[in-house]
This record gives sequence, structure tokens and C-alpha cells, in this order.
Amino acid sequence: MKKKKRISPWVGLGIVLVTFFAVLCLLPLIYMVAVSFTDSESLYIKLKDLRPSFYNYWYAIVKRDFGTALKNSIITVVGSCLLVDIVSAMAAYGFEKKPVPHKEALFQGYLATMMIPGQVVLIPMFVMINRVGLTNTYAALILPMVGAFGIFLMRQFMVAVPNELLEAAEIDGCGEVRRFVSIALPLVQPALVTLTIFTFNAAWNNFLWPLIINTRSEMRVLPVTMSTLASNSTTNYGMVMAGATLTFLFPFVLYIFLQKQFVEGIALGGVKG
Amino acid sequence: MTTIAAKPRKRMSPRTRRQILVGILFILPSFVLMMTFNVVPIFLSLFYSFTKYNMASPPQWIGLDNYARLFSNRVLTESLSNTVRYVLITVPAQTVLSLLLAVFIAEHMKNRYGSLMRSVIFIPVIVSLIASATVWNIMYQPKGGLINQVIEAFGGKAVNFLGKKASALPSVAVVAIWKNTGYYMVIYYAGVMNVSADVREAAIVDGATPLKRFWYITLPILKPITYMIVTLGIIGSFQVFDLVYKMTGGGPGRATYTVAYVIYTFAFQDKNFGYASAVAICLLIVILLIHLVQTTLFKEKDA
Repeated sequence: MKKKKRISPWVGLGIVLVTFFAVLCLLPLIYMVAVSFTDSESLYIKLKDLRPSFYNYWYAIVKRDFGTALKNSIITVVGSCLLVDIVSAMAAYGFEKKPVPHKEALFQGYLATMMIPGQVVLIPMFVMINRVGLTNTYAALILPMVGAFGIFLMRQFMVAVPNELLEAAEIDGCGEVRRFVSIALPLVQPALVTLTIFTFNAAWNNFLWPLIINTRSEMRVLPVTMSTLASNSTTNYGMVMAGATLTFLFPFVLYIFLQKQFVEGIALGGVKG
Repeated sequence: MTTIAAKPRKRMSPRTRRQILVGILFILPSFVLMMTFNVVPIFLSLFYSFTKYNMASPPQWIGLDNYARLFSNRVLTESLSNTVRYVLITVPAQTVLSLLLAVFIAEHMKNRYGSLMRSVIFIPVIVSLIASATVWNIMYQPKGGLINQVIEAFGGKAVNFLGKKASALPSVAVVAIWKNTGYYMVIYYAGVMNVSADVREAAIVDGATPLKRFWYITLPILKPITYMIVTLGIIGSFQVFDLVYKMTGGGPGRATYTVAYVIYTFAFQDKNFGYASAVAICLLIVILLIHLVQTTLFKEKDA
């Protein structure tokens, strides 16, 4: 249906509008990076104020705790991804491949928790974590990251792991753990990648929970440091934007390399971002 | 989602019993974590909502007092109306924009340029809310912020977007729309691509104009997706916190107090855990109602 025909003016206008919208999407980020490379105290930035100096980045990382926050964020994200991947894959395997009684009822219960807004569980979680003395720890940030979405996603893929393969391995004398690790896990690897991306973003951008639970400055993660920093020194725009750029950089690099999985993951499960 | 449940056996063989045990062990870690962080807290929240509690002393049962004081509270009613206004700005805008973008790109820009545009429009989705809020705060600056520089360049007068009661909430909403449109566009795009080419070609052969095709074919087919996107959008917008916290802190005055923000201030600034829990339980009920409406709409469609 698509031959070499001339583009109608309406379609042309549409293409221009789409392009315009895409530019609007990008503009704040270009501005962010541009300001992070200026040393102007005012926002009336001229081209001559732009300089290829990483001073603002150095200042944010060394003088404004961004280094600590970066470290904390990376530890939290890596821990979260590992925990969520392992726990979700294990649960999916148990639900899908083992004859556990009442498992469907339990699974439906898991799914129901996806409707619960975060603010509802926030206060009891805060009280619990305080009671067991886990405030200002990585565990406080990592443990609550496990959720129904990951288990649901993994189970969708676990269905496709052939039972015959698992049975054959069992006859060959392959133990339970090895069947899970060397047969099931490799076959659900695409889902693991998708889940890792989701968990990475959720943990990296998590704000409210880290804000209330890890209050010591050496335990803050990037978004929390970001929020305190900008209110303390509102005029040092370059440094603030350097911080924002740093926060943006890691998910952005991930996006560049794993764009297909990002988009497919959303289109596929599309439930929580 | 559908799986064959374990078939009941007359007598459990040792192997079956072992399988059950192994299965339980595989599920156990998720069970412990889900219980601790997702299930038990709901019931604790419900319990707290009937008490006076600030963590310093044990919860004190006060029955329905917290709930009785909900609707006389000006802060709360204002924040509720702000939240509804916020939902009414963000959800229609992001839904319509993402729909139009997805359909147009799918129909007319199925080339590398179109896929580049899709990639670019998705980028704001991966920016954290706090970083987005920081950047937009600076863009909204009355003195020299990017937007006001543009306005001044065209001879207009600088606007204090976040400082004026009338413009603060819509200005926050714009950031959410900027961030969410790409996300929903991806979902819509996948949906449009599922509309079979046959259907579209048949319509073209029938001589349907593009506008008619959109209205009578594409839109009805995308209806389930639209339901989902609207529901997700309402629920997401109803819980807006990060943007408000960073951009306005609820101000000016209480112009951008939202429900989630109010729960935060009641609980973690006023240390009024009981009262904050009552608000949170109401939020939960509202969200469950939205889910209920969506599922009934879905059922109607299937029938």
C-alpha cells in the first residue's frame, strides 16, 4: 500500500508536529546538560559562558556528597536487582512447576497487592523498620523492592519452559537446584533482563521511601541528595544541573544499550514503571 | 496466567510430597517478603487508622475519631480537590497526546525517522521524578528561566509559574505530561501494530478517509488499551508526590497540596500516624473503586 507517492500536506504537517514534540521532550535535558557546563550565577546564559569544564561535576561529587549518594545508589540498585531477580525467578518456578497446594489462590493474592498504593503501606513499614533497627541501612532500601509484578512477569515466561526437559534432567540425576539454575533460568533469561531494567529504574528513582527511612547523610541515595541540595543553594544552577545530569546518566546509558528490552517490557507487562 | 492446578491424587507418593516441599521452599522467600512489606502493612495501616499513634507511645484506640475528623479538615478537602484537578489535567492530555503520536507514527512514519522519534519521545520516561522536578524548576524560574527567556524574547512579561496560585498546579502537571506521554505512547504503539493490516487495507479499499478510519476502526480497536491507560493514569496521578515535594512543597499557600503529600506531612512532619493512616485507607478505597469501575467497563465490553 506504500508506493512512492507524494506526501500529502497533512501528513507533512503531522511529521513536523511529531518532530516538534520530540524536540520539546529533549529540550529540558539539553538545557540541563548545557547549564551543568556553565559557571554563570545567573540563568541568562550566553554561549560564551559555556565551557567544557567538569568543575560543577567535581564540586557536586566531592563537596556536595554526590559521591556518597552515587555509591549508595549503585549499591542499592545492584542489591535490588539481584534480590528481585532471584526471589522472583524462584517463586515463578515454584508456582509454575511444582504441585504446591492452593498455589493459585496465593498467586491471586500476590497480584492483588499490585493495586495497593505505596502511601498505604508506608507508615507501617516505617514503624517496622524502625522497630527492628534497620533504619539507615541498605537492607531497608533493598528488601521492600520485591513485588508481585516481577513474580508475575517471570511466571509468564516460566510457562514456556518445557516440563519434558526438566523431567529428562531429573531422570539423568540432576538435582532440584541444578534443574532450576541450569535449565529453567537460561530459558527465561529475556524476562530476567526486562525485570532487571524495571528494578533498576524503580530502585534508582525511588524517593519517598529512602527519604524517610535513611535520614543520615552518609546513607542518602541520589534523588534524596538531589532534593536537599537544590533547596540549600538555589543560585548555583550549574552544580544543581550537574547533579541532575549525573542522576540521569546511568538510566540513560542503560536505555541506549537495552532500548528494545525497555520498550518491549512496557508493551508486554505494561503495569508498573 | 492460567495454569493447570495440581491434580488431586488418591495417595501422595513420596515423590509428590517431595515436590510439594521443594515448591514451598522456592516460593517461601517471596512469601516472607510479600507478607512483610505488602500484606501485613495494609492491616497495620487499618489498625493505626483507629488509633492515636506517634511511635513514642503505643497506639491508643480511639475508634472512628480519625475518620470523623477527615471531612472537616480544610487541608484535606483542599488537597483532595487539588488532586482531582491535577488528574483532570494530566490524564486527558497524556492520553490524547500518546494516542495521536502512536497512531500517526504507526501509519505515516514507519521508517527509521519514525523509530528515532519514538525513541526520543520515550527518553523523559527514564528521568527520575526528582531530577525532572529540579530541571523544570530551573526552567520555570521567573528570572532567566528558559521558558521566561523565550517569553521575554517575544516581548512578553515573565511569569512566576510556580509562585502563583493559579498557575502552580498546572505547571507541575505539565512536567508529569512531559514525562508520561512517551510511556503511554509505547503501549498504544504496540496496540496499533496489532491492528491487522488487512483491516486497515480493507478500509482503504472501501474509500474511508483517514479521519473516518481513525474514528471508526482504530479508536474502537484500541478501546481496551485506552481503558487501561486511563486507569493507570488516574491511579498514578492520584498518588503524585515527588513532583509536588520538590517543585512547590505544596505551595504557594496550599495550592499544590495533594493527597499523597498530605499523608506525608501528617505522618512524617506532624508525627500523627493514626490520622495519616486514616487518610491513606481512604486513598486505598478510592483506588480500589477506580479498579472496580475499570473491570466492570471491561466486562461490559466483552459481553
